Amino acid sequence: MLANYPTLRHILGRAGWYFVTFLVAVTINFFLPRLGDANPIDTIIARASAGSSDAVAQKKIAESYLKEFRLIQLDDQGEIIRDAKGDPIKTGLAEQFVSYLVMSLKGDLGTSILQYPKKVSEIIKDALPWTLTLQLPTIIFGWLVGNLLGALAAYKRGVFDRVLYPLALLASAVPAFCVGILLVYVFGIRLEWFPAVGGYDDSMVPNLSWEFISSASYYYVLPFLSIFLIVLGGQAIGMRSMCIYELGTDYVKYAKLLGIRESKILFYMFRNAMLPQLTGLALALGAMVGGALITEMIFSYPGLGMAVLTAIQGNDYSVITGCTLLVTVTVLIANFSVDILVGLLDPRIRAAQGGGSK
Amino acid sequence: MRRDSFDTSAFTHRERPKREPKPVLRLLRRRALLAPLLAAGLCLLGGLGGCKPKKADSDSSLPRNQTLYIGGRQWGPPSSINPLAPQPDWPAISGVKLMYETLFFYDLLTGKMVPLLAESYTETPDSFEVLLHEKARWSDGKPVTGEDIKYTFDLGKKHKDIPIAPIWTYLSAVRLPEVEAGSVPAGGHPRRILFEFNKEKKNPLVVLDAFEEYRMLPKHVIEPLLASVNGDMNEFLKIKFHDPKQAVVSGPYRIHSIENEKIALVRRDDYWGNEVLHGGKLPGPKYIVHPVYKSNDHFSIALQQGRLDVSSTFIPRIWLKQPKGVGTWFSKPPYYLGSAIPMLFLNVTHPPLNDVRMRRAMGFSINYTDIRELAVSGYSEPLRPGLILPFGLESKYFSEEDAKKYGTWFDVDRAKQLLKEAGYRPVWNDKGELVETRDAQGNKVPTVYIKSPTGWTDWESIVRIVVRSMRAAGIDARERFVDASLFWGALYTGTFDMIMWTPHSQPTPSKPWSRMDYVMATADFAPEGEKMFKNFGRFNNPKAPGYVPRIDELIQTIPVMKGEELAKGLRELNALFMQYQPTLPLVYRADQLYEFSTKVWEGFPTSENPYAPPQVPGDRMGTELLWHIRAKGTN
Repeated sequence: MLANYPTLRHILGRAGWYFVTFLVAVTINFFLPRLGDANPIDTIIARASAGSSDAVAQKKIAESYLKEFRLIQLDDQGEIIRDAKGDPIKTGLAEQFVSYLVMSLKGDLGTSILQYPKKVSEIIKDALPWTLTLQLPTIIFGWLVGNLLGALAAYKRGVFDRVLYPLALLASAVPAFCVGILLVYVFGIRLEWFPAVGGYDDSMVPNLSWEFISSASYYYVLPFLSIFLIVLGGQAIGMRSMCIYELGTDYVKYAKLLGIRESKILFYMFRNAMLPQLTGLALALGAMVGGALITEMIFSYPGLGMAVLTAIQGNDYSVITGCTLLVTVTVLIANFSVDILVGLLDPRIRAAQGGGSK
Repeated sequence: MRRDSFDTSAFTHRERPKREPKPVLRLLRRRALLAPLLAAGLCLLGGLGGCKPKKADSDSSLPRNQTLYIGGRQWGPPSSINPLAPQPDWPAISGVKLMYETLFFYDLLTGKMVPLLAESYTETPDSFEVLLHEKARWSDGKPVTGEDIKYTFDLGKKHKDIPIAPIWTYLSAVRLPEVEAGSVPAGGHPRRILFEFNKEKKNPLVVLDAFEEYRMLPKHVIEPLLASVNGDMNEFLKIKFHDPKQAVVSGPYRIHSIENEKIALVRRDDYWGNEVLHGGKLPGPKYIVHPVYKSNDHFSIALQQGRLDVSSTFIPRIWLKQPKGVGTWFSKPPYYLGSAIPMLFLNVTHPPLNDVRMRRAMGFSINYTDIRELAVSGYSEPLRPGLILPFGLESKYFSEEDAKKYGTWFDVDRAKQLLKEAGYRPVWNDKGELVETRDAQGNKVPTVYIKSPTGWTDWESIVRIVVRSMRAAGIDARERFVDASLFWGALYTGTFDMIMWTPHSQPTPSKPWSRMDYVMATADFAPEGEKMFKNFGRFNNPKAPGYVPRIDELIQTIPVMKGEELAKGLRELNALFMQYQPTLPLVYRADQLYEFSTKVWEGFPTSENPYAPPQVPGDRMGTELLWHIRAKGTN
């Protein structure tokens, strides 16, 4: 029946595979942090009960946290089920996994262990805007400007190319932390032109006033540059080589011989060279929610990267799984959209998937 | 950033599409090109979304010359300021008295209890009687009464899992004599509170600590809140107290705004203590802001740029920052006033640490000067033997004679000599490196590992120096840095050979006794594997051969000793510590580092102007400095 709708068949097929990938990823997300021998509940119990040497109180604190994180079995009334000795019965890993799956599907990511009693969803909600603010504009502007420069360099050659190419190569090759630290050191600490850390002036309370926006923009310059330069470099190099390849193709030669306007030819070329770049962009946007950890660390941006790092350092399982789940889902969605979009955009791929012309 | 590599070979065979795409697809194609532009526009909005307005007072910007920026007391995004939570956020963390207040301050410079909510106390053999300030008020205008104090303490009697609970080991009752006698003045409120000691465990020192440590809560707010969750403390601890109606306080500041990037407080101009304690003066800063940065470096840069006014973070080589207006308690080494002793706890049940001669050899092997100069930037007085600080208030108990007679200090030859006498024989390789240590029977002595949390860099350097020192003397020691979460478990259960820890670091009235108690107490003795919250090395097991009852006897009786007797008791206990060496003290450290910038505010206390102890404003007695500092250019 689906044979008549190749596009739909294609989409459904891909979706099926993505769902399988999702399940595998979720399983790994759950089990990976638990493979170590660290016990985060022990840590909070230790902190919560430091100073109290009362053994009964100790036990009570421990049980209340174990109950909170569903690590011991409860009956229908929410009371702890105990064995003959009066000790609570621990929940097995498999049961924990099932309850994790059920909770995840319901959209409940649980409670943070380290930042108890904060919900994981609250932590993500607080961190996500920072990550998006930091990365979305940088990735998109870097991508746009990089591609334009790359195409220009390929087309113009000459001095423009000879200056741009090595610079772009340098920018893309230098690691993010290096650019970040250099920017902070030179412009933040030595020259004091820009603030070294933070997202806006400490004297501000976030609001929609002009002062606040200008302060936030001012603080944004260095973090923006540190990612922008790198994205720009990488994109420019990629686009340049794509365009050089396109320049050698018959249609460009033909167009040139026909005397078509340069800008028009550039546009043709740009469009053809764009496809793989577009794929790269979509993937970068998908992976973006993972956070630009290094940049966040250097500039003290409380984004998702920092949240995950803190969680991993403290074995905060619920935050780790919550964030990785988010990253998994967005990366998968991005990949899926790329798959579908490329199919729609590129007639060749569509043709191949559709089993030839119809 | 990442860019997926692209295989051009797939495109070498090029083929024009046979038909023009359908109009819809063409549109889509345009859209796809437009998408990045659209997204760029959206992201600007997203950027603003990131700074979405949150609850705040009408004043959304805090003028620099009215705002005091402090750092180092809050390291992660805030989650709760519930005053009963075990680990709440600044300013609800233990010791901070900006919102909730204690009965007294403790002045670590003079050793005196300084009035706060209470104006005085009297001591009898069986109790303390505390008298509250008549004019002490909560922020909702209600008086702070004896009922509030009794309620706060009684909470710990009922709920064994809250921070105030342990005090009930030493108290039998908290009573209100005026209420019992019916002598509360008409229109007034009970102001006298009687704290009766537990006769079996009489310890006035710990009760004094409690007066300084535990913040008093308004009964009329907490009781209904607790009742609303059916008295379930776990549910109560989930209340975050971000709602000003819940956070009814008695202190000089209240919450202005709480965000992930900072916590801001605003002055309460109607604070009762301005009149009663400060002669009608207001604290200098209208706002106090604690920015949340991710690392020491960020606080350090901010302080040197004058964006932070006071901090308690570790800044290496602080003298390099002095020209930039950064000051410390002493303007010369050791810069900070030490009050705590980071040390290695030794598990005395693990061979060879069960051998006192080995422990003392270790004490002689360590290069303490290297630790002081290299690991802690010289922020310590030279280390002397024992558990009593040889400077400040405790120096009157320090005995030079005992230190020479029983103590250990850096002397490699002495360490080697001791090892030899005990029959230990180090085996060296050709390059002069230690291979292993053998005992008198020629068996290999187990390698001892020093546990310390990964990433606590000053401790990591200390441990490295200790390992190098011990190996140079012929002791087979190695470092083992562990994840912080594993560290806590190991510390309490005693699953370590040696472990870094600073016992009872806060400066409190019970020093130096509480430090000694923490190191040697056998009161809740538990075998390795079960948790024990003091004496992690399982020293002096009352049920094992070689038990020294005198140590326990002194730990129990010193709290009730006075004057000459007290000095003698402490001296004896310290001498016993040195003889048995259950832990290895390594260096001195301030409980709280204290450094300030004079770019915006001036008048911070220093050793030359010691009107308040070196503590971050709001922390313990450091609160006092708020009434003394003034913005530059004002009076």
